[in-house]
Amino acid sequence: MNLRPIKYQWAYDLYNQAVANTWFPHEIALGEDLEDWKKMTDDEKHAVTFLMSFFNPSELIVNRTLALGVYPYLKAPETHLYLAKQMWEEANHCQAFEYVLETFPVDRAAIFKWHLDKPAIKVKEDFVTNYLSRLANDRLDINSPEGKKDFVRNLVAYNVIMEGIWFYSGFMVALSFRQRKLLRNFGSMIDWVVRDESLHLKFGINLILTILEENPDIVTPEFSQEIRQMIIDGVAMENSYNQAMFPHGILGLNADYVNQYVQYVADRRLEELGFTPHFKVSNPAKWMAAAMDTLELVNFFEAQNTNYEVNSLANKKSETQN
Amino acid sequence: MDIRVKKIDGALEAFNADRINQAIARASRGLPDAVAKTAQIASEMALTLYDGITTTELDQAAINVAAQNIKDDPDFDKIAARLFLKTVYKQVLGDYNTEEELRRAHRQGFLDYIAKQTASGLLDERLAKLFDLEKLADALDLAADELLTYTGVSTMTKRYLTKNREQKLLETPQYFWLRVAMGLSLTESDPTATALKFYGKMKELKYSPGGSTNINAGTSTPRLSNCFLMDMEDSIEHIGKTVADVMKLSKATGGIGLNVTRLRASGSPISTNNTFSSGPVPFLHIIDSTIRAISRAGKKMGALCFYMENWHLDFEEFLDLKQNAGDEYRRTRTANIAVYLSDEFMKRVAAGADWYLFDPKETPDLIELYGADFSRRYAEYVRQAEAGQLRVFKKMSAMELWRKIIVSLQSTSHPWITWKDAINVRAMNNNTGTIHCSNLCTEITLPQDRNNVSVCNLLSINLARHIKNGDIDWDELADSVKVGLRQLDNLVDINQPPISEASNFDHANRAVGLGLMGLADTLEQLGLAYDSPAAYELADKIFEFFSYHAIAESADLAKEKGAYQNFAGSRWSKGELPLDTLRDLENSRGEILSVAKTSTLDWEALRAKVKQGIRNSVMMAIAPTANIGLVAGTSPGIDPRFAQIFSRHTLSGKYLELNFNLVLALKAKGLWEQVKDQLLTDYGSLADIKDIPENIKTIYKDSFSINPLAFIEVAARAQKWIDQAISRNMYLETRDTDEIMNIYLTAWRQGLKTTYYLHMKPRHSAEQSTTKVNKSTAIGKLGFGAVKLPQPVAIPAVNTVSVSKDACPLDPMERLQCESCQ
Repeated sequence: MNLRPIKYQWAYDLYNQAVANTWFPHEIALGEDLEDWKKMTDDEKHAVTFLMSFFNPSELIVNRTLALGVYPYLKAPETHLYLAKQMWEEANHCQAFEYVLETFPVDRAAIFKWHLDKPAIKVKEDFVTNYLSRLANDRLDINSPEGKKDFVRNLVAYNVIMEGIWFYSGFMVALSFRQRKLLRNFGSMIDWVVRDESLHLKFGINLILTILEENPDIVTPEFSQEIRQMIIDGVAMENSYNQAMFPHGILGLNADYVNQYVQYVADRRLEELGFTPHFKVSNPAKWMAAAMDTLELVNFFEAQNTNYEVNSLANKKSETQN
Repeated sequence: MDIRVKKIDGALEAFNADRINQAIARASRGLPDAVAKTAQIASEMALTLYDGITTTELDQAAINVAAQNIKDDPDFDKIAARLFLKTVYKQVLGDYNTEEELRRAHRQGFLDYIAKQTASGLLDERLAKLFDLEKLADALDLAADELLTYTGVSTMTKRYLTKNREQKLLETPQYFWLRVAMGLSLTESDPTATALKFYGKMKELKYSPGGSTNINAGTSTPRLSNCFLMDMEDSIEHIGKTVADVMKLSKATGGIGLNVTRLRASGSPISTNNTFSSGPVPFLHIIDSTIRAISRAGKKMGALCFYMENWHLDFEEFLDLKQNAGDEYRRTRTANIAVYLSDEFMKRVAAGADWYLFDPKETPDLIELYGADFSRRYAEYVRQAEAGQLRVFKKMSAMELWRKIIVSLQSTSHPWITWKDAINVRAMNNNTGTIHCSNLCTEITLPQDRNNVSVCNLLSINLARHIKNGDIDWDELADSVKVGLRQLDNLVDINQPPISEASNFDHANRAVGLGLMGLADTLEQLGLAYDSPAAYELADKIFEFFSYHAIAESADLAKEKGAYQNFAGSRWSKGELPLDTLRDLENSRGEILSVAKTSTLDWEALRAKVKQGIRNSVMMAIAPTANIGLVAGTSPGIDPRFAQIFSRHTLSGKYLELNFNLVLALKAKGLWEQVKDQLLTDYGSLADIKDIPENIKTIYKDSFSINPLAFIEVAARAQKWIDQAISRNMYLETRDTDEIMNIYLTAWRQGLKTTYYLHMKPRHSAEQSTTKVNKSTAIGKLGFGAVKLPQPVAIPAVNTVSVSKDACPLDPMERLQCESCQ
């Protein structure tokens, strides 16, 4: 097996960018956030911990899915490189949420169990692991149309739905606190996580689209309808999760608001897979323009700069990037 | 769902939409389409309500919703600022119904504030005694609050307005400006008249003092200095003392520059017990932890920059202090690092020669030397090293070390690059010892030693508020420079630095840093591109004028109040001026500086004048003004616009910044509405928006599109005239290390004393949320779009409020047929 010649340049480019994005949780100092924590209401604290209790194990589920349900079925070494880096990132994200949970004064034992105790979280986990187990346990022939379809179903479940919709909604909720001048260092950590997850999505969606392009035999109306429905079902699951995250509502956010955001993001994913949008709602969180959509200028001695790249090997002209 | 609002006393009442709508409508008064804007804010706000929301949260929700629309129209900034101000008034003054009631409460509230807080000991008791308070209260100009932007008033509130122990606001913006004005007039013969003069400048945002002055002026703890520069000696006792001093200075809200070159290298012998030193790094780690522990009175974070000369044997480990991986004990997460480079090194880089690193234990005198003296001594140590007469040394290619410095700068934004010889050879105050480092923001260049911790006090003129009829209002600018310098000079006699080494220096040298902000804002308003020859010429002219009037005022102050203590022997006392020192630098280097040495004003007269005496050992420094620039609502320092729309992350939060000058220019051409979405998608760059005319694109370049040499040229023109230095931020799109090495070599050749933060254009950003994103069209793949689907099943009704024009038709007839609308 040899890396060269590279067949999927996009995967190799993503790998190089991912390496440059390397960061570590301990670069973030949380002392100030701890002060904020004391000022926050119970409902606000519940939302943050609920969020992390989902993210923490989910990062590991994605990891397992990559290891058992994606990596073994891909042949191009450049995709292996990317997946290896992504798997490290999932581990790093898990550690990052761990770092926050270990720092904040919360009932850790309870929170670490929420993904088993809270039906709204458990149903999401089960949804993703169910698709994985078909690949991991049933060992379908990947060259058969049914095998390919299962492979695509699994990609849609963990990448498009879990990472691309559920996580994205969670990022909006997490970043909303920084817009209120709370938990801004936690917000910097989320910036890094989002930066990574944006690449995960680029990889996942490009992979799905490439598979569909190379295997037109599976692009049938029935399969297409099924995938579309999967995504719509994923949104429904998120609605009850949002209700559990916001039993009452907090300043600027409530369950309906987050639901609408989820639908907005889901439509984007549908369109990226070649579907028409389903929910047709607007983005209620216009403030995300400030939180995420713009280049960030950091008062460097006041906040962690999350823009730097660690990869000095890439410091040559004509990098092929996006 | 029924929404109930929880009042301050805990009682619940039904949500009254009318009351909120009226408040929003009042905040929208006088703006175009006020009714539509009010309705938009009200409907977006409805999405965020929940049962049990508090009245305070309700106010906050309205502000947040107004603020999230700033990206589409600066009018929303006005609305958000007004809504925000209303919460400030309510907190400080209680409820009010009419504008007249507010004005009266505001006037009376000031008298009460001064009486109560001087009695409580929060404010300096002289504020109640020395002034005609009725006269000052009459001068309070509530209407001046209209000048503040949302970010400005919000930053001011979080950082500068005085609060009580429960964090309740005690000041409105105008009380704040007046408190600062009074606090800096205490030593005047007519304090009321002087305070009114200072207040008039500040409320009009003509200038703003530095952060520490804003926080502490007029209080009973006048810690007014922003910058401290220290020297750490090579002994356990002095390292210990330095840690303690760093604590005290940080608590007093000062930023610190600290020279660490003296600390002996790792492995260097310790004579008292025949062991070996662990080198500087572990001690730097201690100081790093120290500043993290002190949160600068909760309003500013502890902040410090280590300076090291690059001939120190452990310099390469110093470079690693900001790496994000590796041994935590050998990293400094919070403190910054800067390298202090000699001309000797730069010449060796240019010549492809070798560079030698020494243990300062063996070569201590190098720290005191600069220019040709340094080169001679350095050559002697090189000879000794090669002759085997030194215990230890390291030899490497100068170019290789230069590359290492630049690679570290690219990947960690550190070390900042500063030049020891340009700083020292050009120093006007070269009679008081060697300058061993710059400060936290690389604009201060003052000497320090065991008995002197140098101090600088800051104030920056807002150039953008000195424009009249499409030109600089030169008379007004001269007046602001004069008044501002007087305000700064008064500060020295009122200031109480927390350690005696700092007071000593402050009183003997009266060092102040009058700065300038809003250059980019001004150039835009005058229709000039930042990277154009016309802009360079104008910058040259502005800084010449600025320097001339600052020096003249300091000389006048000397006539009135006496010259500073260490005046004798200074360059001033010889009738020399900053411009004259360019020649000294050229002589010292044996190279001609490429900056133009022309001048236009009558400097000869000024030479004679300064010879008679000058009030301040130094008087100018171009600070970054990252925060006071926000309060003043202008572009910081001499920085270009980072982008036409971007977010700024500070201690007070994350704010969207849209270039209002650009919006005005585009609205005038009827283009704003059609290009604003792409502007956001393109991260605030106009380059690829085809509808925008070339002349607008030229003026409104984002920082990464500007030729990097323009940053150097503008700084070099300013540095001609400025006796201290300039916080010169750099912005680069290129990641080619060789190119960046050349850019910084050019900065040295142009005579820059310092550079500051390097911003690299990010190659990859997170997926945007509010813009149109579609990765499949971006890569030209169809996905499931390749199949022809049967008609999609009917969409189940979705329970949401829709505010998007894409989602629902605007036409009322069409809305009747729209499912979401029904």
